[in-house]
Amino acid sequence: MSATTAPKPFDRPRFLPVFTGLFFVFMFAPIVIVALFSFNSTKSLQRFEGFSLMWYQRFFEDSSLRESLFASIEIAFVTMVAATALGTMLAFALVRARTRWAGTANVLMLIPLVTPEIVAAVSALVLFTQVGLQLSLETVMIAHITFSISYVTVVVRARLAALNPEVEQAALDLGATRWGTLRLVTLPELWPAIVAAALLTFALSFDDFVLSFFTTGESPQPLPVRIYSAIRFGVTPTINAIGTMMLTVSAALIALAIFLPRLLGRRESGLGVLVGREGA
Amino acid sequence: MLNEKIDRRDLLLAGAGLALAGCGVGNSGGGSKKETEKVVKAKVDGDLVYFNWSEYLDPALIKKFEKQYGVKVRQSNFDSMSSMMAKLRSGNRYDVIFPDQSFAPKLIAANQLLKIDKSKLKNYDNVWKFFHDPAYDPGAEHTVPYGLYATGVIWNEDKISGMKGSWADLFRTDAKGKIYMLDDFQECLGMANLRHGFDLSTVDPDEIEQSKQMLIDQKPLLRGYSTDDIQNMINGNAWIHHGWNGDVVNLRNQVKNPESYRFEKCKEGIPVGSDTMAIPANAEHPGTALLFIDFMLDPENASQNVAYFGYPMAVTGAEAAFAKIAKDDPAVAITVDDVKNGQQFANLTGKDKALWDRAWTEVKAA
Amino acid sequence: MSEQRFATTLLIPGGLWLLLCFAVPLGLVLAASFGSTDDLGNTIYGWHPDNYRQAFDPLFVPVLLRSVGYALATVALCLLIGYPVAYYIARYGGRWKHMLIALVVLPFFVNYLVRTYAWVAMLADEGLVNGAITNLGIRDSGIKFLNTDFAVIGGLVYGYLAFMILPIYAAIDRMDQALVEAGKDLYGTPWNTFRHVTWPATFQGVLAGAVLVFLPAVGDFISAQLLGGPGTYMVGNLIQQQFLGADNWPFGAALTTLLMAFLSVWMVLYLRSAARASRETAL
Repeated sequence: MSATTAPKPFDRPRFLPVFTGLFFVFMFAPIVIVALFSFNSTKSLQRFEGFSLMWYQRFFEDSSLRESLFASIEIAFVTMVAATALGTMLAFALVRARTRWAGTANVLMLIPLVTPEIVAAVSALVLFTQVGLQLSLETVMIAHITFSISYVTVVVRARLAALNPEVEQAALDLGATRWGTLRLVTLPELWPAIVAAALLTFALSFDDFVLSFFTTGESPQPLPVRIYSAIRFGVTPTINAIGTMMLTVSAALIALAIFLPRLLGRRESGLGVLVGREGA
Repeated sequence: MLNEKIDRRDLLLAGAGLALAGCGVGNSGGGSKKETEKVVKAKVDGDLVYFNWSEYLDPALIKKFEKQYGVKVRQSNFDSMSSMMAKLRSGNRYDVIFPDQSFAPKLIAANQLLKIDKSKLKNYDNVWKFFHDPAYDPGAEHTVPYGLYATGVIWNEDKISGMKGSWADLFRTDAKGKIYMLDDFQECLGMANLRHGFDLSTVDPDEIEQSKQMLIDQKPLLRGYSTDDIQNMINGNAWIHHGWNGDVVNLRNQVKNPESYRFEKCKEGIPVGSDTMAIPANAEHPGTALLFIDFMLDPENASQNVAYFGYPMAVTGAEAAFAKIAKDDPAVAITVDDVKNGQQFANLTGKDKALWDRAWTEVKAA
Repeated sequence: MSEQRFATTLLIPGGLWLLLCFAVPLGLVLAASFGSTDDLGNTIYGWHPDNYRQAFDPLFVPVLLRSVGYALATVALCLLIGYPVAYYIARYGGRWKHMLIALVVLPFFVNYLVRTYAWVAMLADEGLVNGAITNLGIRDSGIKFLNTDFAVIGGLVYGYLAFMILPIYAAIDRMDQALVEAGKDLYGTPWNTFRHVTWPATFQGVLAGAVLVFLPAVGDFISAQLLGGPGTYMVGNLIQQQFLGADNWPFGAALTTLLMAFLSVWMVLYLRSAARASRETAL
């Protein structure tokens, strides 16, 4: 028996790559087509007649659509900052604290992750109306923050748990304060995870539809809600333009998440943190 | 994350927290009468937050109003009375809304509409006498009439012909997959009621049950439920559409082949009604709202609006505009006598409303 | 300050927010589900278990069954498509593994609505696919793709495929190559190796993927709304209608609670299974 046979090609050797290739076509084709037709010079979604930026022009000329774009960005930004702060603190507490409450908080933190979006949206709506809060950008932000905290906590916690506590201990022994240790030892190590979580939160909030749909006020409404109303009304290339722009923002965010740590001198990639390679 | 060990005790604690939280707050949502009697001056007090059906007011008039008074009009649309109510209930604040004659009484009874001081409306004398004291709003204290409408069937003659002037036309098997019904519980159940020979707004549970079944049986023929009859006809998704008389006029204005689009009233019965303009009691800019309502009661503006959306408006001076439309196509005609004598959707309350709501939910879910 | 006090203090901001903005609202929904409505449709709290009885009678069950049916079909399709792709990338990706997996995840960051819209635009009666069909003379008139069950399932698959691929990829990646080699020697045919070695080793990943697809798919309403027709009503659409279209929040709340309870059952079962599996393999 040869213990070191060269690996035989696995069953149908050409099937898997072809299948995977088709898969990528299936996944990307619709998106590419949406982007392509956003540059169409006519209203047609069947024939590409010529290159034109008119649909983008229409988008930017429409003041209410512009407002929606800024609203989405504003909501995503506030959500990112608040959720990252709250989630990081929570992650720290869950890893380091040994009280009874940590267990309850852990469960409380996990439930949003498995709650269907519509359940989340409905409960947020009920909360706001019972408390008498008028639906607005702020209510959307509150809903988004609530559901982003858990993502941040999970990402940061994984990283935190993998850190070597001895370095912190050494700093404390050398006379650093707890805050100082946090600032100079822990946070720098935690930083890629925090950044990854923050960007993830921004992307999720910017793209979110269900939560926004139930908790938005009348004007301005976040962009995905506008897309939904527009699709119900009928399919036009303006929607393609909006979609392509959102796509670009998301792509930029992912690129940022992956390359920012590397650009700033870290060895690990943001994607690795997200997929849980390090410290999972 | 997926390999979490969850302590049973922790789950219990969290669950207890949830249950405790639930034993709390209540909310009734009615307003106070005092709020509805606020004195409002008819002058600009901010941008207008406008909430109406889509394609139901001439965009050119909106621009004209904006220019005339130097304000912006922030537009939102609803696609049924139910969604309008849902949005109002969610706490959104609008300045001018357009409830129909079956929903206006609900809002009035709950003190949600501002009392409109007629002396502040320069053009109020133009409103037809019948609407100075309509049954749905005694004394016309809280509403001003908007358009008069009738429900029937719209179709594209190029795609399908041989219509028989009956509600049965919405059940044609040769148009399977190209038929739309209005996404409105009163319109759909009402249509089935008329087809069965019942009262339009019957509240007899057996009759509703039969109408519900008729609608469920119709579902395989339908492409969808929608109140965007104009767009659905234009983009070709619909050959036959349960729809309103004025919409066919509006749609003809937008296409290259207006003669293809027809409307018919049905012999088993014609639901008629009137829409109204009203100002919610919690409006943030009621002054601008008053100016807007006055603006729409101006005969010149009303005529322009009639030409746009195809419905008669209850404004003296706008009759000529509608007479012209009715002359070209008598099928879309409707007069105030039709509204006085015709079948109107009733203001359903309590158990009756629950009966209709329930039947409609079952139709949708089947 | 001691580490314990410090860490415990940090528990408060996040914990309090979650309690007030997540736990309390869920409680309110539970409370509302026992309420009734007044004439304007406002919720009045009280004790009306009717809502639940209503939910269980012939109305709700078919809608739930349909939702579960669509979700199961989605899981099955995602598995059939996702497993080979995950396998290929994990085992044969080599240097490009990370980039390929990133490419799998990338569409997921495009707004779900926009992705669904892409299919609406392509499959519409006057859309790209029908345009090609009529232009190429395959048929005279287009095929009605939209407003069908298949369109809805297709939309769901497209929306959640990445959730199936990632855990399976992780499981295959973690798998010891030597095991597969040994399996090939032992079992001979590739199919047997797969059945007896690869599949059991990656089963937890498959299960995770199935759960990650099944749970959100049951509550989805976007695909059904945009791609479906009058006969494809799902639980999510029903709940949406009760809150934003009809006048019955308590009934909607009851449906929401039932949906949450239904899905929690599966979640707990999955967690138990995962916990057991990790205990068993922690040798």
